[in-house]
Amino acid sequence: MQAFSALAEALAGLMTPMSLFHVAWATLLGIFVGSLPGLTATMGVALLTTLTYTLERDPAILVLICMYVGAIYGGSRSAILLNIPGTPASAATALDGYPLAQRGQASYAMALATAGSAMGTLVGIALLVLLAPPLAEIALNFGSFEFFWLALFGIIISAQLTAGTSQLKGYIAGLLGLMVAMIGSEGIHAHVRFNMGISDLNGGIALIPAMVGAFGFAEVLTVMWRPPGKLIDPESAYARTLPRLADLWRLKFTIGRSGIIGTLVGIIPGVGEDIGAWASYAVAKKLSKSRDQFGHGSTEGLTAAETGNSAVVPGALIPALTLAVPGSAPAAVLIAALFIHGVRPGPMIMIEQPDFIYSVAAMLVLATIAIAIYGVTLTRVFVLILKVPRELLMPVVFTLCVIGPYALTQRVFDIWVMLIFGVLGFVLRRMNYPMAPLVLGIILGSLLDKSLRRGLTLSNGELTPFFARPISLGFALVIGMTILLSIPLVRRQLARLIQAKP
Amino acid sequence: MRHDNTIADRITGLVFLALGISMLVGGFFMDRLEFRQIHPASIPGLLPMGLGAAMAFCALLLVLSTGRQSPLTGGDNDASVQNATSDDPGSYKNLLVTAFLSIAYAAGLVGQIPFYAATAIFIFLFSVYFLWPGNDADSKAKFRISLLCAVYAMVFAVGISVLFRYGFLVRLP
Repeated sequence: MQAFSALAEALAGLMTPMSLFHVAWATLLGIFVGSLPGLTATMGVALLTTLTYTLERDPAILVLICMYVGAIYGGSRSAILLNIPGTPASAATALDGYPLAQRGQASYAMALATAGSAMGTLVGIALLVLLAPPLAEIALNFGSFEFFWLALFGIIISAQLTAGTSQLKGYIAGLLGLMVAMIGSEGIHAHVRFNMGISDLNGGIALIPAMVGAFGFAEVLTVMWRPPGKLIDPESAYARTLPRLADLWRLKFTIGRSGIIGTLVGIIPGVGEDIGAWASYAVAKKLSKSRDQFGHGSTEGLTAAETGNSAVVPGALIPALTLAVPGSAPAAVLIAALFIHGVRPGPMIMIEQPDFIYSVAAMLVLATIAIAIYGVTLTRVFVLILKVPRELLMPVVFTLCVIGPYALTQRVFDIWVMLIFGVLGFVLRRMNYPMAPLVLGIILGSLLDKSLRRGLTLSNGELTPFFARPISLGFALVIGMTILLSIPLVRRQLARLIQAKP
Repeated sequence: MRHDNTIADRITGLVFLALGISMLVGGFFMDRLEFRQIHPASIPGLLPMGLGAAMAFCALLLVLSTGRQSPLTGGDNDASVQNATSDDPGSYKNLLVTAFLSIAYAAGLVGQIPFYAATAIFIFLFSVYFLWPGNDADSKAKFRISLLCAVYAMVFAVGISVLFRYGFLVRLP
């Protein structure tokens, strides 16, 4: 109860005309970004970070959170109307949303998606305010040994869950990210590593140019490479925009369950909204009485996917705020933005800035209200946005990809970093290498490095403390099991053993 | 169009193998800062060595796994991580033109001429190339598209430049 009263207090504090103005424009921009195929939430948050340098801390974070929530929700518009997910998070939405739109129920599908997204985010917010403070308290007991395993756990789990059937490619992507993080001055002795004689590399590779490249430039290339999508008859999108209460009541278990699944998936480091949507969708399909409808316009499937991906947003912020380990790629950019604006996420957050978690939750509430209002009132605008030719949009997006990273340090070198990561991101994605472990590797590389060497120094080179402390041992066992189970031979033997059991 | 076939996987596997070995060797020969009397367990090359070895091992597994597949079969293709259109054939011509224009703008024009001019040229060339109505269209349609793209390019080039220069006080490249 105390958590919710703190949330109400934080919400009251945000009720200023200027804050509401920021919520209004940033959420709308987020929906716009999310609804356009090729503009992802990560790219939106990364580009907007470069536009918030001059803002105060709270308005800047508010703007970025509204962009994040809006973009994840906005992806459903193009998934339903174009059968192209605006963001990867909406891929599951397209499975049932587009068939509904083809049957002339586009507006009904969009209304359900709006309701699902709003309620999914609210479930996630409730879990955020309930889980984040105790998690931060537990994290206070973390030392170098635990942080070493936590960083490794994040990358391995992310590699495992985002890589589809080839965990090997997930591990390679994670290792690539960690290798990138090894460039530049290291955090213990300030020794410069792998700068290849380029002085601009002494400070390492900044996250924002790398993310803008991997998620911005790479998307521009992907969008222009692919054939354009075909918009369904927009007239069917203009009809009813409010979901029926009876439908929502019928879907109450799907919404609650998907909200919880989405939030839990969000808490897992580096996994993200797309996996949240797919996990919720898979569980809803398994438990549904009409599972044959899934993939052919099931309202249950659509609601599960949309609730699941939106609930990941607050979920992803739980480890981001309390452990400085992002739950998703946009949350990784948010961590970078928090540092830029003087907030130090991590276990000390509840001691240094005890109200900040509730402020973030209140910002999420405002963004949720905004998506609900826009979802109901601006259907025609969304259809118009989808008609903007990509040939006009993409050069402007690329211009922002160039000037955005440059604006942070005013170094042309960061434009080069953006270009290299863009090309690399495009090639790796075409070859089915997941981007999430790569991003997580860049973020967690320094933590992994410092924790390993500090831990070894504390133990005088002994490895025993890495396995002897209870939390460390728990992490080590989970990591060991995860790696073992990713080996096909072990999986086959295990399946055989299970089958042989009477 | 899939790009995760065996040949591509084998080539990237070899590249990653070389990268892993380079990092392993680089980490091993990295300065151990003995003159600063640091703890031997905190040498800067420790994690790079581990990462290099892990990357070389994973890359080797990737290369070996391609030996069991026919050259044009995909290594791995999971529908759950792909979106609805990922297997649609794309246009390589569009891709090359986009990459060329984007890199020429970012790496060639920016910093050489004023930012607003570089941006206007880039947006104009990009949009006019992709929206060009074709040779059989009448000159009126061609003029209309050219004018539209020119106005569009000017508006956004000036708008973005003004926003960053005067709104965010950025010294433009």
